[in-house]
Amino acid sequence: MKSPDFALLGGMPVFAKSLPVGQLYFPSWGRYEAAMRGIFERRYYTNQGPLVQQLEERLQDYLGVKHAICVTNATIGLMMAAEALELKGKVVLPSFTFIASAQSLSWTCIEPVFCDVDPLTHQLAIDKLDALMDEHVTGIMGVNLWGGACDPVALEKYAHARDLKVYFDSAHAFGCVVDNTNIANFGSIEVFSFHATKVLNATEGGCLCTNDDELAARLRNIRSSYGAGKPVPVVKTSNGRMSEAQAAIALLSLEDFPQNQQNNEMLFRKYEERLEPIPGIKLVKPAGVTFSNYQYVVCEIDESSFGLSRDSLIAVLKAENVNARRYFYPGTHRNIGYRDGLAGVAGSLPVTDHLCASCLQLPVGAMVDGDAVDAICEIIDRSRRDAPLLKSFFAGHGK
Amino acid sequence: MISEKKQMQDLACFGGGRLFAEPKSTSNLVQPDFDSFMRYSRQFFDRQHYTNNGNLVKLLEKRLAEFHDARFCIACCSGFWGLVLAMSTLALKGKSEIIMPSLTYRRMADIAAWARLKPRFCEVDPNTLAPTRQSVGECINAKTALILGVHPIVNCCDIDGIVSLGKEHSIPVLFDSVESVYESSSNGKVGRFGDAECFSMHASKLLNGFEGGYVTTNNAELAHRLALLRTYGFEGQDNCIIPGGLNAKLNEIHAAMALANLDEMDQQVVKNRQRYRQYQAGLSGMAGIRLLEFDESLGTSYKNIVVELLDVWPLKRDETVTVLNAENILARAYYSPPLHHKEMSYPYIPAKLEMTDYLARRFMLLPCGDFVTCDDIDRIVQIMKFINLHGLGIAHRLAANEVGAS
Repeated sequence: MKSPDFALLGGMPVFAKSLPVGQLYFPSWGRYEAAMRGIFERRYYTNQGPLVQQLEERLQDYLGVKHAICVTNATIGLMMAAEALELKGKVVLPSFTFIASAQSLSWTCIEPVFCDVDPLTHQLAIDKLDALMDEHVTGIMGVNLWGGACDPVALEKYAHARDLKVYFDSAHAFGCVVDNTNIANFGSIEVFSFHATKVLNATEGGCLCTNDDELAARLRNIRSSYGAGKPVPVVKTSNGRMSEAQAAIALLSLEDFPQNQQNNEMLFRKYEERLEPIPGIKLVKPAGVTFSNYQYVVCEIDESSFGLSRDSLIAVLKAENVNARRYFYPGTHRNIGYRDGLAGVAGSLPVTDHLCASCLQLPVGAMVDGDAVDAICEIIDRSRRDAPLLKSFFAGHGK
Repeated sequence: MISEKKQMQDLACFGGGRLFAEPKSTSNLVQPDFDSFMRYSRQFFDRQHYTNNGNLVKLLEKRLAEFHDARFCIACCSGFWGLVLAMSTLALKGKSEIIMPSLTYRRMADIAAWARLKPRFCEVDPNTLAPTRQSVGECINAKTALILGVHPIVNCCDIDGIVSLGKEHSIPVLFDSVESVYESSSNGKVGRFGDAECFSMHASKLLNGFEGGYVTTNNAELAHRLALLRTYGFEGQDNCIIPGGLNAKLNEIHAAMALANLDEMDQQVVKNRQRYRQYQAGLSGMAGIRLLEFDESLGTSYKNIVVELLDVWPLKRDETVTVLNAENILARAYYSPPLHHKEMSYPYIPAKLEMTDYLARRFMLLPCGDFVTCDDIDRIVQIMKFINLHGLGIAHRLAANEVGAS
């Protein structure tokens, strides 16, 4: 292959249009129009309207959980969860997560304590928890990553033995199943994201699931006075309402979930097949679940055997209009607001640091099909084969 | 018009039929032209860009900044979180208190608590129902971090007085302008005063965006910080540059709705004025009730209908609300109970506010907005006349019912 074939080196990009990584499934124009017309006819726009009520019922049925409480987004959902659980002092969570997990704690005056993750599954390393425990820790936030799970049963057991509260950031985990139990049923509360990049899309949105009536009542009272149900005392309310427009999109997305999950799985299998023979790139398979939504395609790059660094590969892909991204980067413990005071523990999360330096996320969802996956994998394979050429290019550009 | 209620037992609260089959509320619930909303929707749909500072959000921000004659506008998922972010950003570091009226939005102290500020409640003026330079000034002390000027539901608070007070004490001033989108002061449109102003696009408000809110400011640095904070503190991908962020993003569907409604706002105000005139004509000369009049020398939305029940009105305000609610007239008490009487499990400064207590018993909101026709207003006025006429009897019967029930 000649050098100008790489867009980075002056060739034509493989894709004419930039391919984002997120799911971005959305109903057809006709279904969108019909849903919005329905809202205009009912003239009911928000405040726990008929569509939000319907969505909550459907989610409860689908997830097999007693209470599904829809919210405007998952970050505010996590903040509401911390409020409802009356967490104080410190909460332990993995650093290898989206920054909002930790920010939800900062907003509720709780100090996040970061735990490392398992190098194979990327999930919270339960065996590293002991070292982080002290009398100020009141809870554990498990994070279910990449369409997999962080062994919620073991985490529940660990927390209960120490009288700690445990809840889950399941932004990645909608629809996943752990041994016949839908993932919505673990811990005190499970928080799902319905952001457009997730398998269930409400543009923005989320829901909190619990089987605890008291907690559900508290969450509803914190969310808003509309749909609050039984009045119970709470420290402070938030505005966490989901609008009828958001609920309309989520309902259509829930209808489409089986086919979207299948599409994700088909694409994932294709990536699996195409990437398997390429040395130095390892596709991360959803761990700890018996059913996955396959909403993330995350790979680890081993620079020595691949021949290029993760960041160099991303630069090559971006030039081809594949908007691959570092995810998560940096580790939450190295972000502004969380890195201060950690000087003494620098390097204490070696697995997280390693993953943050070696993982990349590839497109999966509505924007790609099997051919696109083939083409993406072809770019990756070519990059490996032409690594010396690309390396000299990067060296020349001071990278 | 002939009264539909002939005798006391015709009132719904005593077993009669409801005056309205569908509720008449104080929420605006204004609806734009469907095709216009769909034309805006088409823009995000074709781009497959559903949120994360999309083009419609950017367009809305530009349009609203122009509308308010402010340099910057930052759209948020709600007015609530817009206020929290503005408060936490503007509050002086190392200071703990926010001065706010007690006679205001029932969640305002919660909003301050999210911003980790301790509310110190100030008095309001009986004529404007708003905080004044003097009432705010009395609360300023060494711990004051921020002044929250709150516009009342009808007309504006003393903008100049509060802004100059803040300047003299070097304390930032934030305005809660949720009810004053369309209003002007003698110095220009609301939205450009103090350090920042906060607005809501909740469906009940003048500008319906399903849910949503925005902050306007002329301060470039503040605008930049707020835009970062509503998106986790990110500047570009993976680059968190300030702490204290969260997700307060406005999605594109809500932005489409707000844009379509913004296009039609002038027509909406014409309809609001017709409704207001209908109330004005109907209630004028009725003893015991005073309609709060809009200052028509300046820009106004004519949206909210607030009445004061005077001493000669035969029922207590809350009894009046009960009677009306039974008829499906969802009249509401005006900011009652005031905040300083609510139980708070977070830090606040206890207050004794006699004027606020007095005012909190006297005012109520009457139905307005898209669901209310001039004919509806005539019927509402008729029932107010009926209540006025049979007030003492109604009061006795309500009291008897209460005794019977307890």
